[in-house]
Amino acid sequence: MEAVARSPASPGADGFDRASIEQFLIHEALLLDSRRFREWMGLFADDGTYWVPAVPEQASPFDQASLFYDDRDLMRTRIERLEHPHIHVQTPPSRTAHLVGNVLIEEVDEAKGECVVGSTVIMVEYRDEAQRVFAGRQHHRLRRDGASFRIVQKRVDLINCDCAFEAMAVPI
Amino acid sequence: MRNGHADDIAKLIEPGRVHRDVYTDPDVFELEMERIFGQAWLFVGHTSQVPQAGDYITTELGRQPVIMARHRDGGVYVLLNRCTHRGAKVVNERKGNAPRLTCCYHGWSFDTDGRLASVPVPEGCAADFDKSAFDLARAPRVGEYRGFVFASLAAKGPSFEDHIGPMKGNIDDLVDRAPDGELALDVGMHRYVYNGNWKLQVENVLDSYHVPFGHASTVNKQGVQFARREGDQKGAAVVETEKKQTAASWKDRKSYIAGNGHGWTSNTALDDSKRSSPAFDEYKRVLAEKVGAERAQQILTPRLHNSLIYPNMSIMGLNIHVRVIKPIAVDRTEVTIYPIRLVGAPAAMNFGNIRLLNVTHSAASFVQTDDLESFVRAQKGLRSHATDWVDISRGLGDEEPDRELNATRALATHEMVVRAQYKAWLGYMREAA
Repeated sequence: MEAVARSPASPGADGFDRASIEQFLIHEALLLDSRRFREWMGLFADDGTYWVPAVPEQASPFDQASLFYDDRDLMRTRIERLEHPHIHVQTPPSRTAHLVGNVLIEEVDEAKGECVVGSTVIMVEYRDEAQRVFAGRQHHRLRRDGASFRIVQKRVDLINCDCAFEAMAVPI
Repeated sequence: MRNGHADDIAKLIEPGRVHRDVYTDPDVFELEMERIFGQAWLFVGHTSQVPQAGDYITTELGRQPVIMARHRDGGVYVLLNRCTHRGAKVVNERKGNAPRLTCCYHGWSFDTDGRLASVPVPEGCAADFDKSAFDLARAPRVGEYRGFVFASLAAKGPSFEDHIGPMKGNIDDLVDRAPDGELALDVGMHRYVYNGNWKLQVENVLDSYHVPFGHASTVNKQGVQFARREGDQKGAAVVETEKKQTAASWKDRKSYIAGNGHGWTSNTALDDSKRSSPAFDEYKRVLAEKVGAERAQQILTPRLHNSLIYPNMSIMGLNIHVRVIKPIAVDRTEVTIYPIRLVGAPAAMNFGNIRLLNVTHSAASFVQTDDLESFVRAQKGLRSHATDWVDISRGLGDEEPDRELNATRALATHEMVVRAQYKAWLGYMREAA
């Protein structure tokens, strides 16, 4: 079997070891599940973005609609709204359970101190007598920050990204 | 309400109230599909969605699947997406390009103008089989204005000109913002569904009364909404926080009707003198270069918030977009929101519009989600028999003529526009198709 074209990451190399990355992804998912949205936003770099494309293999957020494409400013507005006492679409609030697996370090850029980690995410959401499932592959571009990481971009490609959704209030 | 007698339908609508059955009765819904969505001029799509020969999109008019295709002759055809053989939906993709539209079942193949091009194993056809009688059905009437394609599934009825006439200025207001004078609906779409009647969405687009309450979570502690236009530093003042009431500038906004159920609301008051960003400034420069500084200034002076072209589409002047409302069942509705690309505008300006529409009208947006919650709760509440009536009486009798605009005017927090929609609704519903 031929090696994949992407540069193989060497586990344990300079902070990009799989265990600490997985630990980070799980920590991120648990922040979302416990509705600690401000701390979740704190994981992002100042230039960080959160992107959920609206079509499969969407090339860019700049020339077509996305379900989410938040920079830090929009993320802050989103979270202020999630904390607002009169957010009707979160009355009652969503409860979510994320499962993150199939983690692969897919790219490493040592010069920038960045790597791209792919993982499969399943989020089950329950709200107001209804339960639904979101699933897809997500990619985190992580930048080394001391002993941990900052998210430069989190991209979630839902398998049903181009379907008609009922209201979605919480990030995947 | 089973038989659809005109007298029974008329009983559902009174001057300041409508019977809850208009939202909840499946028989009323069936009649709507026949008498409104089977007769009225409905928005289908925009010519920019099918620029090249062989391009097509598929959509639904009411519940009926249709294809809008660009043929070799340059014409745009609206075809019923139903094989003339055994009835299968011919085109399954949402969009694409094909020289022929071929049914997956027995391989009947149609040209992009609907003509039946080939039938496999033709020697099996009946002796008197007339191929020309099996072309894909075309929508009986199609009309277009500045790229906006409408169709009526009825052979007779008011002309397209009579239907769209009062709203041409509203379409112009949007299209003229493009430096090249044309729009393109080629930058994706947002799609959402909700468990509620289609009219809940139609009524909502011109409802300014709900904003301070329905969208409370989008308003900051100063009573100001988040910025929704490229170049704005902040959004509209919605709430007067000291008195905890709707802001005066919001209460002053107007709504208008001009027949056929159509209507619009005046612009959201924003500080246009402070609107500036690299993308917006460059857009303004390009627009002025194309149309002249004075005309550019006119075009960029906001007049309109939302415009409803009854019964199935609206256009918005604030976060520019086109919205299409598709009824699925009496308590289920799908909506498509198309961001708009202003042809000739800098890419950064178009991105600014796309980016902000993501947070106002995607299924995951800050604004639309609270409306969806209201629609769902309305549908649930209307199950109650506490009263059979839904009140739409705000401002009843306070309407006034606006001779300059050739329209009727009221405060936007009143419910004149909803009453006008039910007047049009009744007009369609009393007529057997």
